[in-house]
Amino acid sequence: MEQRFKRSFDELKNIVTMTEDFFHEEKLPPGLRNVVDLATEELFVNMVTYNTESNEDILIQMTPHEHGVEVSLTDYDVERFDPTGAGPIDVNAPLEERTPGGLGLYLVLKMVDSIHYEYRNRQSKITFIVDRKQFDV
Amino acid sequence: MFEIGISGEDTVLLEGRLDAAQAVKAQEFLDQVGVQCVLDLAKLEYISSAGLGVLLRTHKRLMCSGSGIKLINVNHHIHDIFRYSGFDKLFEIVPAGD
Repeated sequence: MEQRFKRSFDELKNIVTMTEDFFHEEKLPPGLRNVVDLATEELFVNMVTYNTESNEDILIQMTPHEHGVEVSLTDYDVERFDPTGAGPIDVNAPLEERTPGGLGLYLVLKMVDSIHYEYRNRQSKITFIVDRKQFDV
Repeated sequence: MFEIGISGEDTVLLEGRLDAAQAVKAQEFLDQVGVQCVLDLAKLEYISSAGLGVLLRTHKRLMCSGSGIKLINVNHHIHDIFRYSGFDKLFEIVPAGD
């Protein structure tokens, strides 16, 4: 299943609908949904927020994987930005030192089972896999 | 769908999905909250980092006046997000069912 989305946070509800339809169609375990939703939102929001020079829609593709779900997000006409290289954040820091920045990519890297980044011809594509085994479903 | 409103004297009820599209709505509401605040998350299905940012900013503001936020009825999935984020060390959290 694949669909293109405008570069707007308002598209998040439509992305959720796509994911619902995909899970229903492929009869995937609902236990995977929250992690797939979280990783997809964080990566989409990252593209919308930081790849501001592009007006192209963002392509999201979802395919069943041997052990779960594979999701790819492709952004067009953008500079290279590899989210898999995002720096660590100190989740043990005291409240006065904590800021919201960086949490999204940190959570993605923490919660998905694998993640891969490709950059070619000004296209930025990130693919992640969520494995059903970790959710005991 | 995301809704936020007052459920009791000092309790704020959050319902639905707190994502990046809804963070401004949540922040604007919580900016009006006074000294003490309990957030009831019983009907909150989903939270992303944008929602975590709203909670963190509000908690830091209220901690300046010596109170902060207490999170109650936190479901398993959202508790995992709090744990991964280190929020379990920053907030008083009461899981659902306790």
